[in-house]
Amino acid sequence: MRLPFRAAAFAIAFALAAFPLPSPAAAENAPVVVFAAASLKNALDKIAAGWTAKSGVAVKASYGASPALAKQIEEGAPADLFISADLDWMDYVEKKNLLQAGTRDNLLGNSIVLVASPDWTKGEVKIAPNFPLADLLGGGRLAMAGVAMVPAGKYGKAALETLGVWNSVANRLAEAENVRAALALVARGEAPLGIVYRTDAAAEPKVKIVGTFPDDSHPPIVYPAAALANSKNPYAEALLRYLAGPEARAIFEKDGFAVLARRTSS
Amino acid sequence: MDWLQFSPDEWDAIRLSLRVATVGTFASLPAGLFAAYALARWRFPGKIFFDGLVHLPLVLPPVVTGYLLLILFGRRGPIGAFLESAFGIVFSFRWTGAALAAAVMGFPLLVRAIRLSFEAADRRLEDAARTLGANAPLVFLTVTLPLALPGILAGLVLAFAKALGEFGATITFVSNIPGETRTLPTAIYTYTQVPGGDANAARLAAVAIVLSLAALVVSEFLSRRIAARIGG
Amino acid sequence: MFDVAVRKTLGDFVLDARFQSKAAVTALFGPSGAGKTSIVNAIAGLLAPERGRIAVGDAVLFDADAGVDIPTHRRRVRVVFQESRLFPHLTVRQNLVYGRWVAGKTASERLDEVVRLLGLEDLLGRRPRTLSGGERQRVAIGRALLADPMALLLDEPLASLDRARKQEILPYLERLVAAAKMPILYVSHAREDVERLAGTVVMLDSGRVKSVEEIKR
Repeated sequence: MRLPFRAAAFAIAFALAAFPLPSPAAAENAPVVVFAAASLKNALDKIAAGWTAKSGVAVKASYGASPALAKQIEEGAPADLFISADLDWMDYVEKKNLLQAGTRDNLLGNSIVLVASPDWTKGEVKIAPNFPLADLLGGGRLAMAGVAMVPAGKYGKAALETLGVWNSVANRLAEAENVRAALALVARGEAPLGIVYRTDAAAEPKVKIVGTFPDDSHPPIVYPAAALANSKNPYAEALLRYLAGPEARAIFEKDGFAVLARRTSS
Repeated sequence: MDWLQFSPDEWDAIRLSLRVATVGTFASLPAGLFAAYALARWRFPGKIFFDGLVHLPLVLPPVVTGYLLLILFGRRGPIGAFLESAFGIVFSFRWTGAALAAAVMGFPLLVRAIRLSFEAADRRLEDAARTLGANAPLVFLTVTLPLALPGILAGLVLAFAKALGEFGATITFVSNIPGETRTLPTAIYTYTQVPGGDANAARLAAVAIVLSLAALVVSEFLSRRIAARIGG
Repeated sequence: MFDVAVRKTLGDFVLDARFQSKAAVTALFGPSGAGKTSIVNAIAGLLAPERGRIAVGDAVLFDADAGVDIPTHRRRVRVVFQESRLFPHLTVRQNLVYGRWVAGKTASERLDEVVRLLGLEDLLGRRPRTLSGGERQRVAIGRALLADPMALLLDEPLASLDRARKQEILPYLERLVAAAKMPILYVSHAREDVERLAGTVVMLDSGRVKSVEEIKR
């Protein structure tokens, strides 16, 4: 009866490997779960690593479009901190009484730029009222995050409307799920141009910035951060304070974000 | 029954899904017939690999299939660039791309069903046709194909239903452009990602269920009628 | 009219048969498993012999030494199979004209003639599965006859019928033999059928020709 025994042993080993039992040490310091706007990925990963090294507590970051994250929080997703890419979605969560009182503050600022794919040959674009965006696109599409809901898309649409160009490109969009997906479309050459944050363009070597949208063409870009009411993690607030601290500031600024939080000591 | 009112966006998604699934499925029929016949009747070197290739979309994660389609048929992919410059055929962000993804994902189901019915076709009847003067193409068209019709139909319906529900490959390959590639499943997904989209998602999900059921019922009905006419 | 020499090994069974016949109807007679159907298949082109030569009338259909192997669909050797093998998805009429249809010709006047000969008037619009065994065989005979045959092979056409049906069909077979102006090979394991119809009887057993007998009529 050796075969069934071996099969059973194999099955048990497989199950153990697939479902590791929680080790006692990990239960003490449950990781801090952060829901953050997609554009924060590069900077936040570095900052989180730095904080974990200092505090010994792990960080689990979930990046996505702010409306998607807001919806998940609303449905009870187990997040400790939320960093949105605009005020609307933080307001949304606040109205549902899901924020921990007194923890909300504006953390970062950003700007939006026009990026071009690797095979772009038309040089710099002067972004001014009525600039010939539709012509520049040729037969291609303008990659943007979803213009109805996602902050990067909303800022982009607002800027295009202010500049009087929105109608000429409204049906020539390639709307992506979040700003990083839009960035990928341009990087891959699927879309010749795209509107993303300056910080995204800096993070992706394959795209070139060919134009910058004036700050007054769209509402100010503000990333608020807050702790969530249902958070049970005692380290959440420590991480939130760290995000406003000098080590985090240095990394954010290096990646191109404007840091709005008041300077604090660490 | 206000909640049954579909918005223009929702109608777009329904119409697009039907168009994508129909075009994708029927466009893949000739290749499906060929592959099924080759697998059922011929012996050739590399047959096992051919069989594996045909079944690949069935076992690969759909997003991997979509990714491979992107690499090959995207604007800068070898096949995509050629088709665009030679024939003006573009798949990126277009419903044609969604149809291609749907066709590829449904292909294994199509081939499996048709292959079974070719294998079941009575060879003795084909022999009789040959003795009556029919050459190989005529035997195929006048005897094999009509006898295999119930299986071909079943395969088409399966592939159609798969195409209606195709999501992973579509969204990876041609993204989610309203009116072009926002099919039913993609639209439902988009609605579930934003606050306030739940009612839309539920409505479209109901439509998807109804369409799939209808496809199954029609295929069953047609299959039985044809089998009855052929039987014996 | 039939000049047949075939050799083929099928598993344990070795077919090595040779016969010639100038009669209008040649009977191939022998017990089950003797190789009769294999010979029919070889003449029709459904079985490729390893060695030998097959000629029907003036036409050489197969010659191993000369490298001749006419494809089945060009042999104009029509077969009536034991299990009729009517096309289930076609009507009786469509079955009957199948041979002319694949040749790209319209149904000839012969259709009415053959329909009358075999008593098929009331069956034309029906489908094979609604017919009795005897009716199916009559249609099968008509189908072969209407396909511009150069020769007819009947492979135990009555074997799957009961006594009453057999008696019903035999007159039709006799009419067929009288009306057909081409060599007919009639395969059977029943002596009475053979005696009624044949001019030459080829006795086959275990793959070999045991005797060739001419019957005086």
